[in-house]
Amino acid sequence: MKTLVIISHPSIDESGSQQFLIQALSDRSLEQVTLHPLEKTYPDGVIDVKHEQELLKSHDRIIFQFPFYWYSSPPLLKHWQDEVLTEHFAFGYRGDKLKDKELGLVLSIGLSEKEYQTGGQEGYSISELTKPFQAVARKTGMTYLKPLSIFQYAYMSEEERMGLLIRYQQYLTLKKPDSLKPREEWIIAALKETATETLRTDHSDFIIEQVIEHIEDNRMELDELRMHIDNYHE
Amino acid sequence: MDEQDWIIRELEQLFDSSRDYKQKALLKAAADLIREQKTRKEQLQGELDGTLWSPGNWRN
Repeated sequence: MKTLVIISHPSIDESGSQQFLIQALSDRSLEQVTLHPLEKTYPDGVIDVKHEQELLKSHDRIIFQFPFYWYSSPPLLKHWQDEVLTEHFAFGYRGDKLKDKELGLVLSIGLSEKEYQTGGQEGYSISELTKPFQAVARKTGMTYLKPLSIFQYAYMSEEERMGLLIRYQQYLTLKKPDSLKPREEWIIAALKETATETLRTDHSDFIIEQVIEHIEDNRMELDELRMHIDNYHE
Repeated sequence: MDEQDWIIRELEQLFDSSRDYKQKALLKAAADLIREQKTRKEQLQGELDGTLWSPGNWRN
């Protein structure tokens, strides 16, 4: 699976959260992921439609990554949609080029999560406010993914940021980023590749092996339990 | 100390010893994952126990 991350931010170099996300990707993730910052690619705002459509065609998962300004994206991403998602390409007669791809959102949001509900300061949920993106996915035949919403990045603790770093990589690269089993496989693959030179313990290789084995043993036990339960329901 | 506690403690020591931010994040995620697996096992074990003790299945 190949993922295209279309980033829209008016001043990406000054954005702590955007820089964090860009740096978060490991070499392993980058084999699968293309980062595409719109404002840097098109500083004059003139979009190369053909090139953009080719990019879309050569990727399976499309991510719009942006700060959630006034319940929408920065203007260049809207302009990009107007220019690139044309009839006969994205919809209409023979406009099936995006069909069966996935569309996901990575949103950085200035307020806390609890404000996005009835009675909260914003009054509406993120699901309600992102309806136009859901409608784009629907019209173009794409599967809409649950968004990755990052609330108040500036106030996140270091531990929370580390969690975000992993969640972000999984959001971009995993077929089912929420499910336990694919996340286990992802962690195991990443552990196998992690460099032990950056670890100061001499027996770090052994520990990493033990950790992988423990995760695999747990998975076997989980599958066995599930099998027993399913047998009883048959 | 059971095996899980030992593994988590070792992971925490690796975390402290690592000089690489992304690696630290990975080691923390591995510990979190193992805790999550444990919770899932307990839930499934509970579901299995409940199924075994359900009067509806006693006739089988």
